[in-house]
Amino acid sequence: MSSSADSTTTTAVAAALAVEDLEVAYTVRGIDRAVLRGVSFTVAPGETFGLVGESGCGKSTSAYAALRYLPSNGKILKGRVMVAGNDVTGMTTAELQAFRAHDASMVYQDPAQAMNPTLRVGRQIIESFTLLGQNKEQAQASALEALRKVRIADPARVMDRYPFQLSGGMQQRVVIAMALACNPKLLVLDEPTTGLDATVEAEVLDLVRVLSRESGAAVLLIAHNLGIIRALCDRVGVMYAGKIVEEGPSSEVFDNPQHPYTVGLLRSLPRHGVRKTERALTTIPGILPLIGTELPTCVFLDRCPIASDLCRTVEPPFVPVGTDGTRFTRCHHPDLIAEMKEDLPVVPISVLAPSETQPDVLELSHVSKTFRQRNLSVPALVDVELGLSEGETLGIVGESGSGKSTLAKAMLGIETVDAGGVVSMGGTAVPSPTGSRSAENKRSMQMVFQNPDSALNRSWSVRRILMRSVQKLTGIKGEEANKRVEALAAHLRLTPRHLDLKPRQLSGGLKQRVAIARAFAGDPRIVVCDEPTSALDVSVQAAILNLLADLQAEQKTSYVFITHDMGVVRYLADRIAVMYLGRIQEVGPTDDVFNGPNHPYTEALLSAIPSVDGEEKVRIRLDGEIPSPANPPSGCVFHPRCPRVLVGVCEVSEPPLREVSPGHSMRCHIPIEQLIELQHKPIVG
Amino acid sequence: MRKFILQRLASIVVTLWLLATIVFMLVSVLPGDVGRKVLGPTAPKEDVAAFNAQLGTDKPLFEQYVKSMKRVFTLDFGTSYQTRSSVSDIIFPALGRSGKLAVLAFIFTIPISIFAGIYAARRKDKLADRVIVNAGLASSSIPEFVTAAVLLAVFAVELGWGKAFANPPDGTSLFGQLEYLWLPAMAMAIAYFGYIARMTRAGVITALNADYTRTATMKGMSSSQVMRRHILRNALAPTITVISVQIGYLIGAVIGVERVFNYSGLGSTMLGAVGAHDVPVLQGAVLLVGIVYMLSTLLADLLIAFLNPRVRLETTR
Amino acid sequence: MSDLEQPPADPDEVISSPGIDMFVPGHAPTNAPLNERKQARRENWRLIRRRPAFLFGVFILTVWVICALLGERITPHDPLDFRAGSHLSPRWEFPFGTDATGRDVLSRVMAGARDVLRIAPLAAFLGVLFGVILGMLMGYLRGWFDTVASRIVEAFLALPVVLIALLAVTTLGSSSWVVTGVVAALFTPIVARTVRSAVLAERDLDYVTSARLRGESNLFIMFREVLPNVMGPIVVELTVRVGYAVFTVATLSFIGAGPPPPSPDWGAQVSENYNSIISGFWWTTFFPAAAIASLVIAVNMIADSVQSVMEAS
Repeated sequence: MSSSADSTTTTAVAAALAVEDLEVAYTVRGIDRAVLRGVSFTVAPGETFGLVGESGCGKSTSAYAALRYLPSNGKILKGRVMVAGNDVTGMTTAELQAFRAHDASMVYQDPAQAMNPTLRVGRQIIESFTLLGQNKEQAQASALEALRKVRIADPARVMDRYPFQLSGGMQQRVVIAMALACNPKLLVLDEPTTGLDATVEAEVLDLVRVLSRESGAAVLLIAHNLGIIRALCDRVGVMYAGKIVEEGPSSEVFDNPQHPYTVGLLRSLPRHGVRKTERALTTIPGILPLIGTELPTCVFLDRCPIASDLCRTVEPPFVPVGTDGTRFTRCHHPDLIAEMKEDLPVVPISVLAPSETQPDVLELSHVSKTFRQRNLSVPALVDVELGLSEGETLGIVGESGSGKSTLAKAMLGIETVDAGGVVSMGGTAVPSPTGSRSAENKRSMQMVFQNPDSALNRSWSVRRILMRSVQKLTGIKGEEANKRVEALAAHLRLTPRHLDLKPRQLSGGLKQRVAIARAFAGDPRIVVCDEPTSALDVSVQAAILNLLADLQAEQKTSYVFITHDMGVVRYLADRIAVMYLGRIQEVGPTDDVFNGPNHPYTEALLSAIPSVDGEEKVRIRLDGEIPSPANPPSGCVFHPRCPRVLVGVCEVSEPPLREVSPGHSMRCHIPIEQLIELQHKPIVG
Repeated sequence: MRKFILQRLASIVVTLWLLATIVFMLVSVLPGDVGRKVLGPTAPKEDVAAFNAQLGTDKPLFEQYVKSMKRVFTLDFGTSYQTRSSVSDIIFPALGRSGKLAVLAFIFTIPISIFAGIYAARRKDKLADRVIVNAGLASSSIPEFVTAAVLLAVFAVELGWGKAFANPPDGTSLFGQLEYLWLPAMAMAIAYFGYIARMTRAGVITALNADYTRTATMKGMSSSQVMRRHILRNALAPTITVISVQIGYLIGAVIGVERVFNYSGLGSTMLGAVGAHDVPVLQGAVLLVGIVYMLSTLLADLLIAFLNPRVRLETTR
Repeated sequence: MSDLEQPPADPDEVISSPGIDMFVPGHAPTNAPLNERKQARRENWRLIRRRPAFLFGVFILTVWVICALLGERITPHDPLDFRAGSHLSPRWEFPFGTDATGRDVLSRVMAGARDVLRIAPLAAFLGVLFGVILGMLMGYLRGWFDTVASRIVEAFLALPVVLIALLAVTTLGSSSWVVTGVVAALFTPIVARTVRSAVLAERDLDYVTSARLRGESNLFIMFREVLPNVMGPIVVELTVRVGYAVFTVATLSFIGAGPPPPSPDWGAQVSENYNSIISGFWWTTFFPAAAIASLVIAVNMIADSVQSVMEAS
């Protein structure tokens, strides 16, 4: 009961957004199931407030409730939402319309879906202005101006296009332009850059930062990526099971968390450049309670390492931490947090020293892949050379269209490579289509997919999934196979009970364990992992990464690890290859790639990633879009976007992959000495 | 756009060829002596042989096939076995009469079923929605000839509001023909109400849940503005496809309705041709139905391309 | 499904149910049942039993099945007996009246259920069976096979079903086996198209890739891996096709391609008698027509309920 008042430090009238003790439930099968269990926060005009938390914690529901746009089975049970002093929860339909037209706007994930596919972009932006009462000419002029404000260079041309003719980054700018049309007092951003490429994401985030400052709107930002929250938000609220468990200035919350959940969340991230050689990642035991679960006292109770009897009987109040009145935590024992942080278990993982291992478990030489689309030839891989040693993890990073997934498929023989390219395993060339590979070759190389929902046959039980792989890959049959399945499951920390379930009865993390178990069914030499954790929450991701590292240490398996997450790749990979438009632009030991000197593309990519650690960096922003692989630029394919382009050289010829230090190569015309010098100075302009 | 149309026309020609082949196989490869069937079991053997020779049905099958295809692609459907007149002179006027019926049926059914579909979508899971969905289900489940027989009994016989024989006498004014045609057209309209209403409902529900609808609502538009400006355009594409596919079925369904009302359209013509083993008429009529069906789907695709720029622009590229 | 007010019996039902997963993706049950397939089936059954349309459909269908099975043993009169007066209007002894030759319409309607119920479900089943095989091959193999088969399917779809059935029946004779075969053959391409599109969506999923990576044959992938995942649309298609088969068989007998005259087939009864409506003898047409309508509607209501429940899960 006390929670509503004590978080609202500023008065409701002054706040641009004040959410007061909001309770929301979804009706599922006739029963109301609590999603928000008393959420309170305020956002001042001009302030950016972030909500973070794992999926299912209620952060998006909070955002939609703020504009009273709930799904048809959702309803507000209690509490209210005030925007600029008006009670949104009590508005009539007409008032709500006027409120949405004039005072509040929203930008969401997936801009491609957010615009009407059948209407020209211009018409949709103009509509935003005519709804404010402008006439056609005024609205037309305003729309052009709005597009210029979101840095669209040629607004008249963009207005004339249909949404699907624009790139993702462009689409999101248009959506932002529409959202800012009314000069809103409140701007809600729900995962605005999820699904965009890193370099594009960086640009959109910069834009949001500048425009929200300019407009003076209060911004509510929902993101699962803690780095984005830190980069953009003044204050942050950490949500768990429908409640805000901690609140404060974002840098302080992330550097010095005061709630056991926040501590756990942050510790499960690979931060500060930690490597698998240093320690295992920490995980949060247990799972998030389902919506609608009765949680009479502390919502985090079941998973909390410092819970006491008090926590089991009395609901913790939202109490201030420190003296400046900006930080709050919903915990009975903030004093124990410091202890909890100290007892960080340092569990180093036994890692193979590369010297003990055999080189060239897998080798790719001159591997190219050209797709035919009607009369066009689309080069997806161009002359890739790569080697993989036993027990090594090779990270492959790149944005969409970089060819990283095609590379994985080429290795596995799912795609046949162009003539002249050779994939060899253990020194012998293997044929391209998977079907023509020997049983031994199939057994030796397996894959873990990005999305376990797609990768596991949903009508098979876990036992059948594993059994079939064991039988097919090892040839073991009968009771012995059954034993092996059970041993495999136990190894992946799946209980026998899990074996009789269908994939949809498992959580995302468990499903991914099953997928990993399947890949390991025949003791593979190489496992290709395609973004295996990107569909998972961070605390689950940590467990999966630990598991992969353990399995590797035991079985000397080599990994090809494809990801867009630089933190993850830094933690897990021994070597990293950076791809752009089907070419390897840079490849080298992880430390070398992260410390530089870098290929200018790698440099931009690294600087584009918003870090939860908030290190100040020289920021490099790339112009333009990632070109289509069907129509690659001349010379160095990166030259049109390269901030360090050498005019007269780069557009003429493609640089070779050349070694700059032992094992570290890049594809750049700029002499290495010059690169080192350049990369220690900020770019001017 | 032109390339798109040309591609579609080319594919129609291929489909027509397949269609003609299927029909040829059905009438020729299947067992049975054409002459015997036409002339009847009592006709002398020699007459049957002479008849078969005259028709060319005693020639090797492949030769017949080539000849038949040649005729199909010159749109020369040959002469009727039964009446000895040109098949075209029989089937085109019949198509015209059936077309009149179909157009009238669509005029009755399209506005009301689209409106009902939209209304049901907006009232999803409410009583009105349930009523419309179940009425639609019932209306599209009942064979047209059943509906036609009931309408005939109730309106034409008991109430005297229409004619039991739907053929208007020659020289009846267009408006005067309505009195003859409205009952059979209504029987067809009822059958198609269900399909169109349900498809419209599904399309509108999909569009109501789309992100762009959320964007429009968040701009501060009223729900009727959102419906008019954003939803209908996207929601009607599947409805248009259904209507075009139904045109093909409509011509098939017309058989039963025309029979109940003794209307001399394409359906009755085909039925008569089957009874008399009049293969050329049957072949011509079936191909004509195929052509009409494919042209209507082409028209629907063009309409969808017009509504949806993505289809339009990507096929042109 | 919003009309289900009763709370689920135990937490596992919530987890294995649709809907909840939309809001809480990926959270494991704490105490999951051992036999999940049985559980899901029970869940679906529970959902479907609560739909009034389903119960109504099952009731009507049961009535007709009983009539078909018992036939003359339960009809009040002999359906072929001419002894009553002709065109007697409905009365106590003949609730549906008598026809032109003095046969009892009620008895004929009851006995008439047999023909249609013998043909329609079998025809639908065979059509779906062949359609599934063809659609699976088209969707999974793609390439030239799919291109050629798709063209042929498209050509078949351009044919009015009733007319082609009529053509085939007049050529091959109108035994019930021919009618069954023809209706099944005409449904095959329609079913194949539905199955093909369901398979197309499945073949791009990673479990198929994974099966290839461990060296499974195409046949295994098609019928052991993919088929169970497209059973939903197939079951729906089967129920819908039964409805259409009733429709088609009735229409065929109406236009004279059904079983020969003395048989009390519904479509044939309508066909024989509709001309006498004008003379005021509506009952001879109305009752068999209503019988056709009730059976088709009943089957479609069942189909529709199955579809709703399948789509939800």
